[in-house]
Amino acid sequence: MRWSKAFLVFRKDLSEVVRNWEVMAPMIILPVIITVLIPAMVTLVPDSMNGSNNANLMDTIFPNLPEADRNMLAGFPEAQQMIYIMLVYFFAPFFLIIPLMVSGVIASDSFAGEKERKTIEALLAAPLTDSELLMGKILASFAPAMGATLISFTLYTVMVDALTLGRFGFLLLPNLTWLVMILCLAPAASLLGIGATVIISSRVKGFREAQQLSALLVVPVLALLFGQASGFLIMGPATLLVLTVLVLVVDAALFGVGVSLFNREKILSQSH
Amino acid sequence: MESIVAEGLTKRFNGFTAVDSLSFTVEQGEIFGLLGPNGAGKTTTIRMLASLIQPTEGDAYVGGFSVRDDALRVREIIGILTENPSLYERLSALENLEFFAKAYGVGDPQTRDARIKELLQFFDLWDRRGDRAGTFSKGMKQKLALARALVHEPRTLYLDEPTSGLDPKSAKDIRDLMERLSQREGQTILLSTHRLEDAERLCDRVMIINHGGAVSVASPRELRQRATGAHVVRVGLREVTRPLSDAAEAAEGVKALDVRDGALFVTLTDEGYTPGLVRSIVDAGGSVMYVVPLEVSLEDAYLKVIGGE
Repeated sequence: MRWSKAFLVFRKDLSEVVRNWEVMAPMIILPVIITVLIPAMVTLVPDSMNGSNNANLMDTIFPNLPEADRNMLAGFPEAQQMIYIMLVYFFAPFFLIIPLMVSGVIASDSFAGEKERKTIEALLAAPLTDSELLMGKILASFAPAMGATLISFTLYTVMVDALTLGRFGFLLLPNLTWLVMILCLAPAASLLGIGATVIISSRVKGFREAQQLSALLVVPVLALLFGQASGFLIMGPATLLVLTVLVLVVDAALFGVGVSLFNREKILSQSH
Repeated sequence: MESIVAEGLTKRFNGFTAVDSLSFTVEQGEIFGLLGPNGAGKTTTIRMLASLIQPTEGDAYVGGFSVRDDALRVREIIGILTENPSLYERLSALENLEFFAKAYGVGDPQTRDARIKELLQFFDLWDRRGDRAGTFSKGMKQKLALARALVHEPRTLYLDEPTSGLDPKSAKDIRDLMERLSQREGQTILLSTHRLEDAERLCDRVMIINHGGAVSVASPRELRQRATGAHVVRVGLREVTRPLSDAAEAAEGVKALDVRDGALFVTLTDEGYTPGLVRSIVDAGGSVMYVVPLEVSLEDAYLKVIGGE
């Protein structure tokens, strides 16, 4: 594979993506909601951390927290304990939605969108190999997804620390759990979004259809969210590393299928 | 020297035969036309010759490279104007050409920039080079797509309906360009078109295909002659009289004669009988004002070939 050709496709796709508001809007809106609105709501809205629902959440999550966290939180009032649990544990899975959704939206535009806009034939006629085309398009989905994830994580960290430093007297983030999630599980989740979208795009004709189907990928993330809320699964560094390995195994399987489905003949027959 | 050699090229889709055992050769510098009704297999043939899709049976060699085994090399040496302009509408004209120039290996920035400028100026798009392709008219998009096909100076060009959607002036410019590329620069052009006047004017030979198979391969002139099966001349006389038409009818090689519009329409078995025909009329006292060979149009010939298949 000639990397210069893969990067050529990557740069071309990226130039297209940044000029497409249908793609850029979810890339901007979703991170803003997660990184700014959620921490602001949790820390600034009076009494949002009180009430029977939160008490239930405390009862289910608190006993399953790592011992060090339980000891550290023991000296704080319950509302403050709740803020810590929400910001450090409960909302963590939302940061897997960003790489999944952003990579899914861009991959939908890159693979299904090219068919829909009938630009694929000239691209396939160019002297580029299947692997160069695929790698370029995968990079064009992966790089912005990880960029958005890292920027969102940085913003979230700054927001959370700025809003909570006065209450706690120390910085809540970053910690090892979050670093493992952002640097290991998020890239694996992004590849999951791309691999699934490559397969979906080989079966559908249009960008929107591919995007809608790839949005179903957030379902496993919601399962993680409910797993934490029920106290069944607390996302510590070890759990996240195990999840990363599992997701990477699924990624490998999805890419295996995706590459076998990247058939020029089928793509051309679907673009007319 | 042969630029394209097709040997039993066949393509089947789920049991449907789109192209059936096509065999033909195209010489270097030749403009070779592909004619046929919609669904005849023209685009599938071009796609196989561009190594975009694999033949089910047979093979073709472009510049000596097999479309089956050397797909990348084939794609490197051809330029293709696809059925749709296939432009990136969010990118500017310049960005579209830069991407494809790099994809086709035009690595040196100075050469690339000069080539792109030359093409955009030729197609009157230089002033709009920074505008998104999506803002262009259909004709401008067609020109930009043609510029993209030419950006790496390919030895062989596949053009699918190149003058489609163009105004008469632009269409003429494209036809002139094709002639220049073929005659002066020795580029081989495979032209798929519905515009028979384009085929007639430009093509050295045309292949009429229908139901995936070759119905006829010949020069446009040969096709017209085959369609009439004879040579027809219009003989203008100062005055048409019965003795003169009888003399003409009695001349050697005359198959049929018709008198209308103050002229004789004489069908000869061979054009070589024309001087004898004129002599017979003059000997009978006629004053010949003009002799014009009449041929059926390529369109008539095409319709006859397709209809009679």
